[in-house]
Amino acid sequence: MSTRVGVGTKILGAAAFVSLGALAVFALVVAPPDERQGDAQRLMYLHVPAAWLAYLAFFVTAVASVLWLVPRTRSTTWDLLAGASAEIGVVFTGLTLVLGSLWGRPTWGTWWEWDARVTTTAVLFFLYLGYLALRRTGATAQERGTRCAIAALIAFVDVPIVHFSVTWWETLHQEATVFNRDLDVQFEGFWMPFTLIFAVFAFTLLYAFLVMVRLRLAELDEGREERQLEEAIAERVAVTV
Amino acid sequence: MDDNWGYVVAGYVITIAVLSAYGGWMWFRLRRARRADLDH
Repeated sequence: MSTRVGVGTKILGAAAFVSLGALAVFALVVAPPDERQGDAQRLMYLHVPAAWLAYLAFFVTAVASVLWLVPRTRSTTWDLLAGASAEIGVVFTGLTLVLGSLWGRPTWGTWWEWDARVTTTAVLFFLYLGYLALRRTGATAQERGTRCAIAALIAFVDVPIVHFSVTWWETLHQEATVFNRDLDVQFEGFWMPFTLIFAVFAFTLLYAFLVMVRLRLAELDEGREERQLEEAIAERVAVTV
Repeated sequence: MDDNWGYVVAGYVITIAVLSAYGGWMWFRLRRARRADLDH
């Protein structure tokens, strides 16, 4: 098994890197400050795509888990993809919480508020942290795959709860803004909406790159563990004989 | 320049630091795996 990442992954990584550099320029220099929030609103260009990426990562984990659970499609790759995507999701959920806290301080006047959106997002973070811990518990690959796939599907229930929490409960966190027809949102000029859309695009590229590298790493770890097991069995057999 | 730039800079620096650390950790593990593969 080759230990190198493919050319496609490298191109994806370069594209993600360049896009993130361009995003920094758009978000910090080109886009105008918000009329009400001033420059603090520039955190939106990281907070929103980080949250989007967390949803995407956990969705991929859920789909890969279903594909593992269905006997006809069961493959180790689905189990490893589920784990790789969940890990990236946890990183970005953590970032979402930290960036939200930094944005909340100047706009809400507090670092943390136990409102529905913030609390359910924190629950999401710990649910998937638990999922990652579960992946490290000793078991055969089959047992681990099934156990973790079920856990991933249970944890995924929290994703729509996080998303709809702002409409189901009264929250300090604002409602869905961009795609909410009830709110007459006025973006200032071209650069503000463009930068937000570009940020989502750049973060999605980054996710695709990270998940491919993380999956490669997981496959290598899996291969090494199998090899070590085979060597240990061979040694044991040699001693017995 | 308003007073909120500190929060903005903190947010961007934390994001860069976290992503660099995570990317660096993966790069280190890949290198180690490659070396182990060569030794094998």
